[in-house]
Amino acid sequence: MLSSVILAELTSAVGADGIIVGQNQLHTYECDGLAALRTIPAAVVLPRSTAEVQTVVKICARHRIPFVARGAGTGLSGGALPAAGGIVISFSRMTRILDVDIPNQRITVEPGVINNHVTQRVSPHGYFYAPDPSSQTVCTIGGNVAENSGGAHCLKYGFTTTHVLGLEVVLPTGELVSFGASTLDAPGYDLAGVFVGSEGTLGVATSVTLRIAKKPETVQVLLAAFDSIAAAGQTVSDIIAAAILPAAMEIMDRLSIRAAEASVHPNYPDAEALLLVEVDGSAIEVETQMQQVRSLCKTNGAWEDRLAQSERERMLVWKGRKAAFAAAGRIAPNYIVQDGVIPRTKLPVILEEIGRMAEEAGLLVSNVFHAGDGNLHPIVLYNASIPGQEEIAVDLSMRILHRCVDHGGSITGEHGVGKEKQQAMGYMYSEPDLDTMQRVRCAFDPQQIANPDKLFPRPRLCGEKTGPYQLHPLEREGTAEYF
Amino acid sequence: MLSAHLGTIVGSEHVSIAKEAIAVAPADAAQAAAVLRFANDNGLPVSPVGGATKKGWGNPVSSKITLHTHRMNALLEHTWQDMTCTVQAGCPWSSMQAALARHGQFVALDPLWPDHATVGGVMATNDSGTLRLKYGGLRDLIIGMTVVLADGTIARTGGKVVKNVAGYDLHKLMIGAFGTLGLTTEITFRLHSLPVSSQSFTLLSQTVEPLGDLLLQLIDSHLSAQSIQLRIVGDSFGLDIQLGALPEVLKEQSSLLLEMAKKAKLSVEEASNEVWNSRHLLFADANGFTIKATMLPSDIARFTSMAHGFGGTAVTQATGIMTAFLPEGREEAILQLRREFTGSGGSLVILQQPANGSVDLLDPPSNSFPLMQKIKQQFDPNRILNPGVFLGGI
Repeated sequence: MLSSVILAELTSAVGADGIIVGQNQLHTYECDGLAALRTIPAAVVLPRSTAEVQTVVKICARHRIPFVARGAGTGLSGGALPAAGGIVISFSRMTRILDVDIPNQRITVEPGVINNHVTQRVSPHGYFYAPDPSSQTVCTIGGNVAENSGGAHCLKYGFTTTHVLGLEVVLPTGELVSFGASTLDAPGYDLAGVFVGSEGTLGVATSVTLRIAKKPETVQVLLAAFDSIAAAGQTVSDIIAAAILPAAMEIMDRLSIRAAEASVHPNYPDAEALLLVEVDGSAIEVETQMQQVRSLCKTNGAWEDRLAQSERERMLVWKGRKAAFAAAGRIAPNYIVQDGVIPRTKLPVILEEIGRMAEEAGLLVSNVFHAGDGNLHPIVLYNASIPGQEEIAVDLSMRILHRCVDHGGSITGEHGVGKEKQQAMGYMYSEPDLDTMQRVRCAFDPQQIANPDKLFPRPRLCGEKTGPYQLHPLEREGTAEYF
Repeated sequence: MLSAHLGTIVGSEHVSIAKEAIAVAPADAAQAAAVLRFANDNGLPVSPVGGATKKGWGNPVSSKITLHTHRMNALLEHTWQDMTCTVQAGCPWSSMQAALARHGQFVALDPLWPDHATVGGVMATNDSGTLRLKYGGLRDLIIGMTVVLADGTIARTGGKVVKNVAGYDLHKLMIGAFGTLGLTTEITFRLHSLPVSSQSFTLLSQTVEPLGDLLLQLIDSHLSAQSIQLRIVGDSFGLDIQLGALPEVLKEQSSLLLEMAKKAKLSVEEASNEVWNSRHLLFADANGFTIKATMLPSDIARFTSMAHGFGGTAVTQATGIMTAFLPEGREEAILQLRREFTGSGGSLVILQQPANGSVDLLDPPSNSFPLMQKIKQQFDPNRILNPGVFLGGI
């Protein structure tokens, strides 16, 4: 509980209508998209301006109160989960588009602006904002910055970090600073680069300058049906080997196809695996490349391929894919969405392993993935009302991530570590690696009040001597054997 | 004494005594860690050296030890099916590219002096050329690193997959940090396929405005230009454009470009690939100033013309990065240009100046400078890594 003095300070910072302390209302903020974890915050503030955010953070710094920024709360790793006794800074009132500069292909927005609204704003000029997480119609730019969000089209266009040029940030100490600029290569360390994807642990962005991209002249999506995931996966490798860089390549397995069909009726063929390939560019370029893609699909045994050319047809094809997570609810009462990454060539191996592990655990796992960049979204299906099944599901989903790391991949490609995968960070990185990241944390947030107890397996006291020198695993093994 | 101890770490044949500093060449990250740990314990400043092509960049540093990376020069892994590679920092840029080209791939960046510059040196100075327009800079191409910190800690950041958001992007801090936060020993890149075919054109004009307008039209068009630069050519200006695409696409795109030029009443000629080396020529004269300045694309024509007005030669990429040369004695002009650039949201950094040059190399620190100092303090509290070389004396 916050003292009446602190509450008075917060109220004077954001106004009486900008603070929530009623228990019933606070429940709204107790979790994000990872609903299994819940903590009711001590208060929620709804600032209207950078100055108000700064005042709130200064109050937090003075009283050492933990805080977390929140956009739409769609994150899937518990990144916006409040700390016990902490404050939530909600950006639902900072939704202004501050500047649009079409000739220079830039736009500056407040963090509460919804991802899709950026595209809507620049669309009349022939531009779009490329990162497109599946939640793009509700998720905010501030949340995207914190998580370095991706989406289906980052295969060609890059992630949030590729598109963030500059930021205005309130540091956890309450100082207001600028990172990057509208121009490239601002002198000094690339602070914008390290801030994007730091999951709210290095401060709070209050304004973001983004790069926008020219809308391609032509877009085509091919939907191809295969008898096995392996054949769809091989097609992806063949497309890459043919030096084609599609805007997106997605694979869905039988279980997820059925779920999507039951949920949003995209009229998908009933196949073991579906491959979606989106190619964009100039008309002649798309024509040429799509011909190649179709022939590679045929070579690998595709028994049906449908080419969506109109906007309406494309939307229908994508609708099923984008609804894949929510559709899992059609085939099981509960599910866990995971977010592992593997080098693309390991796709057949990991899928076989996931199948085996699921069978051993007695659970079903459906798979949708961004096949072009090896980002898997295994969906572990379970029934929480059966005693012990939730634990088995959580354990299975973590073991899948460990296998991704074993194959030279990552525990998260776009959902973030948050609260959910803290311990898995210790599996992916060694102690010296994590300790080095925490040095950055200490420079930004010596009191560790910005979204504490997330991201790292355990906190590190700033100013603490790191103890005797430890051999890195690379050294123990001898670097020669490393590869 | 000092050299004997360093010899026990790297082998005495890999230690040599130069006039001011002892040169050591570690074989791997573990040896480099031992050298840095020793230097850190004894407060000895260390300067990492790759191909020494950009040695004069940044503030001068008087080091006791120069750490040479030439023994760490291997391409460790090229998983071409995954389009990634891992390379040691001391590998010359061109050697890496030649090896990657065997599978039709490359790191999509065109830095200065690729035959001598090393991967580590290119990274530490954040060099980039004309390809940045299409493929992005090093921050978009590097996906992982192994870094040795001042206290000998060896840390890995990122990984070997293109898509990865686990933990902080520490490698972004290392890019362009001039070695002040750690010694990078290995880098993992994402790769691209080599362009199938390309064609270059030059448009010449006595006045800069029509070229500046066309440049903006080009970046707003559907042409797949992989490089665009505005250049001072004697008393006039040139706009170079390289289209890269499939052969059948290239033909269509060339005719579109010719149409746009015709509309703007500009004459077009086919250009040789030589025009893409123009940036190199701006470093030839050590008696003058070579600067890197950044601006918005809409300011490119104005600033290129301004550099021309001050008697300079310049090449400005469509991304808004200018390299310019000004003859000696133009300190006042540089200060004025710096005011203009910073006033328009950009910056001006001096890469090279005459021995007696007196201009501050870097822009006055921004409001995030104290935070940069704190990061340096966390990574290198005894200030042994290239002390003073960087912005604001970091």
